[in-house]
Amino acid sequence: MMEWLEKILELLFSPWLFVPLVYPGLISVFIVLLFIIWLERKVAAKVQLRYGPLYVLKQLGGAIQLVADLLRYLFAEPIVPEEADRVAFVMGPILLFAAAYLPCVAIPVSGSFYAFRSDISLLVSLGLLTLVPAATLLIGWASNNKFSLIGGLREGYLSMAYEIPLLLSALSMAALYGTMDLVKIVEHQSGFSWGILRNPLAAFTFLLLCFMSTSRFPFEIAEAESEIVMGPYTEYSGILYGLAMGASYIKLYILSIIFSLLFLGGWEPCPPFLSRIGPVAPGLVVFVKAVAIMCVGIFLRSVYPRYRIDQAIRIGWHITFPLSIASVLLSLGVMWVG
Amino acid sequence: MARRSPISSLVGHVRALATGLKYLLAPRMTVRYPEEVLVLPEGYRGMISYNKKLCISCGMCARICPADAMKMYPGPEEGGRRKMYPGINYARCIFCGFCVDVCPTGALEHTDVHDMAFESFEAQIMTPEEFERGPPRPEFRRPPRRLKPVMDERRGIRYEPVD
Repeated sequence: MMEWLEKILELLFSPWLFVPLVYPGLISVFIVLLFIIWLERKVAAKVQLRYGPLYVLKQLGGAIQLVADLLRYLFAEPIVPEEADRVAFVMGPILLFAAAYLPCVAIPVSGSFYAFRSDISLLVSLGLLTLVPAATLLIGWASNNKFSLIGGLREGYLSMAYEIPLLLSALSMAALYGTMDLVKIVEHQSGFSWGILRNPLAAFTFLLLCFMSTSRFPFEIAEAESEIVMGPYTEYSGILYGLAMGASYIKLYILSIIFSLLFLGGWEPCPPFLSRIGPVAPGLVVFVKAVAIMCVGIFLRSVYPRYRIDQAIRIGWHITFPLSIASVLLSLGVMWVG
Repeated sequence: MARRSPISSLVGHVRALATGLKYLLAPRMTVRYPEEVLVLPEGYRGMISYNKKLCISCGMCARICPADAMKMYPGPEEGGRRKMYPGINYARCIFCGFCVDVCPTGALEHTDVHDMAFESFEAQIMTPEEFERGPPRPEFRRPPRRLKPVMDERRGIRYEPVD
C-alpha cells in the first residue's frame, strides 16, 4: 500500500506530469478559475456598494458560488444548433480551452523544476498563446449566428492590433536579458533587480496588452454583452459555454505568470523556508504574483466602460505599438549603458 | 472628436481607477431583505385593509379603480335585498390608492404589507370575506432587524437600525 502511494506521489511530482497536471497546469488553473471569477463578481459588487455572491456558503462570502455554477454548466444540456457546423462547433471551445492552457508546458516552476527546458521557452509560450484568437474565429464562424460572426471578427481585428506589440514588448525584455530562456530570465533578476524597474515601459505595455488580449474591460469588445449578446459564444450552452468562457481567464492566468516571470522577478526573492521544502515550492511565489496581477485585471471591470472597436484598434496601433518599439529602444539603451 | 493629450488622458485613467478604489473601500448599502427590513414611512401605500362595518356599499372604489382590480360582489340576502361588497384582485392592483382616497367612510385603508408572495394566481383574487380578514402577513424564520433610511450628506442614503 505504502509502496503504491510512494510510487503515485513520485509519478505526480515528476516534472512532465506535475507541470501540465498540477502547477501551472490543470489543477491550479481550476483553482484560479473558481477563485478569480468569484473575486471578479465580488469586487464589481463591492465597488457598486452591493454584496455580490453571498448565499452559497455564507460564512465565506459565497466563496463556492463558482462550484455551484460549474455544476450547473456540467449538467446543463449543450445544445448544438441545427444550422451550425457540428464538428467545428463542438471542437471549438475544447480547442480554445486547450490553446489557452497549452503554453503552461513551457513555463518553468522553479530554477530546477520544469517540464522541458528550452533556449526559447518565452517564445514557445507566447507563440502557443497566439493560437487562441484562431480558435475564437473558428467558434464565431461555426456557430452560424450573426452575433457570433461579428464577435469572432472583432476578436480577429483586435488580435492583429495586440499580438505584435505584445510580442515586441516581451522580446525587448529578452534582448535586455540576452536570453529567451525563462529560467535564465528569472536568474538575471535576482536581488530585486526586477524587469519592471529596468524597463517600466515594456512592463506597462505588456500589462496593458495582457488585458487587451484577454477581453478584460475596457477591451471586452469581442463578447460585448450589451451589443452582441455574448459575441462568439452566443450559441453555446452547458459545459461548452463554460469552457469557452473560462478560456479567456486561463489566457490571463498564463500571461500573468509570464508577466511575473519577465518583470516581477519570478520566484526571486524566494523565502528560505520555501526553497527548503522542495524544488516545487518556489513556484508558489510566482503563483501569488500572478494572482495579484489577475486581481488588477478583474478590478478594471468595475471601473471602465467599453471602448469601441476602432478606439481599441487605435490604442493597439497608435499607442502600444510605438510604446513597444520605444521599450525595445529603452532595452537597447539600458544594455548599452551597462 | 477632439483628441486629448496623452498626459491628460493618463491623468483621467488614474483618477478613474482612484474613484474605483475609493468605492471598493466604502461601506455597502444593501438591505439584506429577509434578515433586515425597512421601516416604512407614514402614508406608505401597501396592501389594503377593508372594514366591512363601515362599508355603505356605494361601489365608488370599484368604479374609480383604474386597473379593474376592485370588484363588487353580491352579499347575503337581507329583507329581500342584496347588498354589494368590494373584493380585490391583487394580480391587477397597482397600489395607486384611489379606492382609499375615494372611500367616503374610510372603510378602506392602506397597511404596510408589501412583501407578500402568493402561491397561486387564484389566491390573489379576494372575495369580500377574504378581503375583510386583511392582507396576509409574510412569515420570517427569524425576527428581522429593522432599519430606517437616513439622509446622509456624504453618502446620500444610509440605513440605521431601529429598536
